[in-house]
Formats: sequence, C-alpha cells, structure tokens
Amino acid sequence: MSGCFHCGEPVPATADFFAVVAGTARPVCCPGCKAAAEWIAGLGLDDYYRLRTEPARRPLAETDFSAWDRAALRRMHVREHAPDRAEVVLLVENLRCSACAWLIERALSGIHGVREVGVNAAAKRVRLVFDPRATPLSALLHLLARLGYAPLPLDAAALDSLRSRESRSALKRLVVAGLGAMQAMMYAVVLYAGGFDGIDPATRDFFRWLGFLVATPVVLYSARPFFAGALREWRARQLAMDTPIALAVALIYAASLFETLTRGREIYFDSVSMFVFFLLAARYVEMRVRHRAGDLVDALARLQPATAERLTATGSEQVGTHELVAGDRVRIGAGAAVPADCRLLSTACRVDESLLTGEALPQARTAGGPLVAGSLLIDGPVEACVERVGADTALAGIVRLVTRAAATRGRLACAADRSARRFVLRVLALAALTAIAWCVVEPARAFAAALSVLVVSCPCAFALAVPTALTRAIAVLARRGVLIVDADAPELLARADVFVFDKTGTLTEPRIERSDVIVHRGSIEAALAAAAALEQGSSHPFAHAVRAAAGELDLPRASQLQNIAGAGVRGVIDGVELHLGHAAFARDADAEEGRLVLSDPAGVIAELSVRERLRPGVAEALAGLRADGARIEIVSGDCRRRVAAVAAQLPVDAWTANASPAAKLAHIEHLRAQGHVVAMVGDGINDAPVLAAADVSVAPASGAALAQATSGAVLAASRLDELAPTRSVARSMQRILRQNLAWAVVYNLSAVPLAALGWVPPWLAAVGMSASSLVVVLNSLRVRAPVSAPRHPANAAITLAREAPA
Amino acid sequence: MNVILLLIPLSIVLLCAGIAAFFWAIDHAQFDDLETPALMPLTDDAPGRETPPP
Repeated sequence: MSGCFHCGEPVPATADFFAVVAGTARPVCCPGCKAAAEWIAGLGLDDYYRLRTEPARRPLAETDFSAWDRAALRRMHVREHAPDRAEVVLLVENLRCSACAWLIERALSGIHGVREVGVNAAAKRVRLVFDPRATPLSALLHLLARLGYAPLPLDAAALDSLRSRESRSALKRLVVAGLGAMQAMMYAVVLYAGGFDGIDPATRDFFRWLGFLVATPVVLYSARPFFAGALREWRARQLAMDTPIALAVALIYAASLFETLTRGREIYFDSVSMFVFFLLAARYVEMRVRHRAGDLVDALARLQPATAERLTATGSEQVGTHELVAGDRVRIGAGAAVPADCRLLSTACRVDESLLTGEALPQARTAGGPLVAGSLLIDGPVEACVERVGADTALAGIVRLVTRAAATRGRLACAADRSARRFVLRVLALAALTAIAWCVVEPARAFAAALSVLVVSCPCAFALAVPTALTRAIAVLARRGVLIVDADAPELLARADVFVFDKTGTLTEPRIERSDVIVHRGSIEAALAAAAALEQGSSHPFAHAVRAAAGELDLPRASQLQNIAGAGVRGVIDGVELHLGHAAFARDADAEEGRLVLSDPAGVIAELSVRERLRPGVAEALAGLRADGARIEIVSGDCRRRVAAVAAQLPVDAWTANASPAAKLAHIEHLRAQGHVVAMVGDGINDAPVLAAADVSVAPASGAALAQATSGAVLAASRLDELAPTRSVARSMQRILRQNLAWAVVYNLSAVPLAALGWVPPWLAAVGMSASSLVVVLNSLRVRAPVSAPRHPANAAITLAREAPA
Repeated sequence: MNVILLLIPLSIVLLCAGIAAFFWAIDHAQFDDLETPALMPLTDDAPGRETPPP
C-alpha cells in the first residue's frame, strides 16, 4: 500500500508513523491518522477498512465544540425529553458510504451515556439519543470529528421532519391497501367460483360482507389522500386526476354496499381495493423520487457555520451564529467559514469564494474589504465587523433567487394537468350521458353501464403511463451512477439540444504538471519535494496540487512553516530559508501571474505554473453529446484567457468568459427564448440560480450541495461521460412513454363506447382496466441503457449507497 | 363448511396482526433506511471479533 492506510494520501518519507491494526503495522501519514486508525482498531471496528469503498477523510484539526453546550444553542438544536434523555439530529459531512454509517454507529454506541444511534447514510444524518448529564453534546461532536466526520447539529424542528412523516404515512396506507386488496381478492374468488358452480345465498352474502369488511379500511383510510385531493380540486374549481379517482372509488364502494344490502347481482370490493392499491403504489414511488432531492435548508446549513467567536471587552466567547447582530466583532480562524457578511478589520487575508462566485483563485482582501458569509478564510485568524446577518446576507439572497427560479418551472407538469383535466371532464360527461341514455332506454341497466364507463375509462392507464416509464428510467440510471432528482429531468434531457457547461470544477481541476516546472537550480525532484514540504500544512487550493505533483517523492523535513496572507508560505529546510508563493513574495519580478515561485536567499530555484487540467473523460463526454446532435457551450465566470485555453481543447460550439451569475442567467434565458431546450451542467453555488433557470440541469456529486439541490440530475460518480448514455436512456424512456400513452388512448377509445352501450359488465371493465395497466407496466420495463463497457465497481457502490430513500 | 366460520375470523385476526406489526415497524424507523442494515450480517459474525467495549 503506497498511501496512508487511513486516508490514502501519500506518506511523507520523513514521517515514521505506524498504526497497529489487526496485529499489522500499517504506514500512516500523520499522528492524526495514526490515532484515528488505532482508535478504530481498539474499538474492534477494523472491519471498516474492509468494507469501505472510499478512503477515509483525515481526522479534522482540533475543533472547539464547547459552544454547543451553551444554553442558547442547545435550546435550538437539542430536544430534551427528560433530564437524562436528550435527542439531537446531526448532519454529517464526509459520510460517504455504508461503511461510514456502520463505523459511526459502532463507535458512538460504545460511548457511556449514549442511548440510541441511528445513521442514515443516504440523508447523511445521524440521530442520537443520549444522557446529557453523562456525556455533553460537545464530547460526542468531538468524537465524530476525531473519526474525520464534520458534525453539524440540525434545528430541533428537523426531528419530526415533514418528509419522514409523509413517507411513513404513505407506507402505512400502502400496506393497508395491499393486504386489504389481497384479502378482498381471496373472498372474491369464492364468489366467482360460486357464480359458476352455484353457491348457497347465505354463504354468498357472508363472503360479500367479508369483502365489505376488508374493503372498508382500504377506502376510508388508504384512499383518503384521493378524497382530500378531490376536495381540494373542487374548492379550487380545478379538475385533475384526483376527482375521477375519488368519484370512482366512492361510487364503486357505495354501489357494492348497495348490492350487498339488496342482495343484488355483483359486488366490486376486490376491484376497488386493487384499484386503490395500484394508484397508491405509483404515488409512493413518485414520492420517494421527490424526497431524494436534497433540500435547501440542508445546503445552507452546510455553508454557514453554526457558531462564531465573538470578541467582547474582556476577551472572546463562542456564540451561535444566530446570536450575532450587526456591529459585533468576530474572530475567524484559518480554514473556517465566514459566519455572516462582514467587513475586514485586520490588515489582509485571502478568502476562497469559489463556492459563491466560481472564481478558482483565492481572493485577497485588505482592511475594510467585504467578507461574504459562507466563503472560506484561507489564512488567519482575522478580526471582522459583522454587517449583515441571517436573511440579509448575500448567501440568503442567492437561496431566494434559487427558490424563485425553481418556482417558475413545471411547464410539463402544467401541460399534463391540463390534458388530465380535459380527459376527466369528458369521462364524467360521458358517464352522465350514458346514465341518462340508459334511463330512457332501460333504467335497470343505467347504473351498471355508467359505472362501467367510469371504471373502464378510469385514467389508470393514463395515470400509470408516465410514472412507470419514469421510475424504470430512474432505476436504470441510478444503477449507472446518475441520480434523477426532478421527475421532469429525463424527458427534458432527451429533448435538450443545447448543453451549457460551467468550467471550473465541472470541466477542469487545478493541476501542476511536471512539464510545467521550470528549474533554475538543482533537480526537478528536489524542487517539487521542497515545495510539497513547505505546503504540507496549507489548505490553499494550490497546496493540494503541489502535493499531488510531488507524488511519492521523499519529502524533506520543513520547520518554522509560516503562512503569509495573500503571498505564500515560508519555511526552513536543511537550515535554508525558502519562500514559495507569488512572484513578488519570492523576489522574482519577472515571473508570470498565476505561477508559484520557489526561492531561497540566493535567488529563484524553480517556477511552477498552475494550470487547469481537464477532468478525465470530459473530452469524450462532450464529443459523445455533440455526435448525438447537441450544441455544446461553455459559460464561465473565469477570465478570458483561461476559458479560451480550455475551449480550444474541447469540441465546443461557443464559449463566454467573465460571465457574472446574472449574465449567465441572461444567456440561458436568451437561448430559451430562441426555442432551444437548455441543459446546464455546473457545480458551484453561483451556478445554483442558473441551474434552476435552465430547462434541465445536472450537477456532479462532488459539487456544492446547493447546486445539487437545484439540479434535475446528479452524477454520483462525478463522471461527465455518463451524460451521453443518460441521454439515450432518457430517449428510450420517451419512446416507451409515447407508446404507453398511445396504448391508453387506443384502449379507452375502443373500450369506453362498448361500456357505454352496456356490453361490458362492471367486472369485465375492472379486468380490462387491470389488463391495460399491466400492458403499460410491462412495456415500461423495456426502458434500458445502451450496451457498454462494465462500470467501475466503486461507482456502483456509491450508487447503491445513495439509492436508499431519503 | 362450518370450518370456514372458524378459519375466516382467524384469517382476519391474522390480517389485523400483520397490519399492526407493519405499523409498529414503520413507526420505529424500520423502513427509513433500507440500505445500511444490509451490511450488518457481513460483519457481526466475523471470526475472532471482540465485542466493542460497552
């Protein structure tokens, strides 16, 4: 094993840290990883290393969680059921695979005072019930951080989240409907058999009452959402799918009860139960898909820190971010997120605003400059004065923009609703006409005929045509690592003719190639090793690139490391003071911008150009889309030179540089106004409004949570080369969907007139309805992916981990 | 045929029991996460495993 046993990063040669796991000494990169690995092994949890599909995160630097024990914060986040029983829900960053969930559950349940641990890997949530007198919350958070997971307590309101309540009650209704339908059918078989072979009337009535007994909870409990929906539609004077369903269910149930009481000819308790069950199953599947989308509240929570360090006259105190008011002075540490929109009081600092603006390079700020909430401070600590908090921050503004952009969508949903309403009106009119006509001709058959029209034409085939094809497509895509968040996404992806890409993070990643290193003195290896040693402790985006470029070189031991704000790093290696950073800082006035210079007192040793490298698979993905007839565009907030360099290497039709979020939005609107169906691929927070404005949007899983929350689809493996196959699955789905709808139309056009003429008894209508639904369901199973090379098993595992209901 | 008078109420009692069990399971978060527990059997019976300290 070349990398660290725990986190997978290269092990510096000078480091001689070994963790003893399962009796074997394993090389690790730092004391933190050693402690984490040995702690995990000490708990008897080293199975984690066998089960995991991704390397662990490095343990987080010591973070002070004591603020979480403050009463003001506790009230908001912890629910105290009893003095010795408190409940909290944590959102856990870096919880990436099921093995993580397993590790957390085992590690925490071993702690004194912890009563219950529930980990949901798909929702990245951990639910803890603990005894606050035995173990304070801060100690539990500290343990999670030691394992490498960043914990974030959620509002206590999240404990009884709307979502889980909705999901649970839907499942209950489904279970009642399913079991009820099964029983009702069993009793109906007896009646059918009796119909052929003869049955004594007392037994027949007994079985009819049994059918009534099991169908009653199905109609009164399981079908309640349909009645509630119909009532809502009625109040809003808007007919949609729920009205005919509720009407049919109520009519069939009432008619069957009437027949049972009057010892009539036919009862339909089995049909009505089965009908409710099928419809509920389709709705349940839809709801699960909807819930899989991340919600905005989570995304915001991840960006904004929950606590801040407020400076007081006597010193400093940890307070909750919601306690800050404009005018407060706060201290922000290096690597921490800015809690509110602030004005800088210290002399200088650099901030990473890449999540907010898409700008790849860190931004230098001097005293008086603005710090935006949610951006990361690269060097610090600095002091700042709070200017705007809560809903007034720029971050909250972006979220509002996103919500508004998302609310104006749903063009397809509206169209579907309109056609359903027309269909419903016609069916109701036809049923009424049938009843009236039969009343004139032969009143005894009027009710049965009208019922047949309602049942046979019940929009079952229509109702199932779309969701079944859609669910099948979603399942096929999920197996390939593409998660569909918005149900409209597959259809829009199939129709999209313009694909707009964001550049930074989506198409490229920062890289230092060995061929880009200009060495003035010594060897390239020595220069890279020295640079990597200097950058060892830095969280600067370039530092990772430098470390990656050094690879597995033996790193010399650097001491007296010092981060200089807005300039670079300084340190001593083998008694020589070295500088690494911007040209001016490293005393080389000639070096180009965007280049790192390594120098010692005798002069420049090497120059490292940082360039953006295309992410793997990007060129193939774009070529595949273009061959498929799509137009490819790049719209980026980055400078012209960089965008042009990337565009030159890729098959793109057009590119735009220096685009602000507003300009990006305008560009998308312009394309849509021209009649194009626009698909947007991007990953930054700044892209979120743009992603929401496009017809359909795709975000890689590595992207910002807010971007994913507004996307129609998320690429779990972050590989863009899944785009073209996704599109062909979407096309296949669209084809099947059209066939389904055509079948539903043909079936209804042929069956409804027969039913209206009274040639179809209600039981045959129910059989016809079920058979036509079955045809739709079986046809939908034909949606499949194009044949291609087998996928990487690790990707399959990620997909699996994210497939669970949210 | 009289036996159905016994068997059918019995089936309805079983049905009610089944629904009650489902409701209990749903209310106790048994269906909230369907994927993490799938890993549990792979680990619990590994040979030579010490139980984690209480």
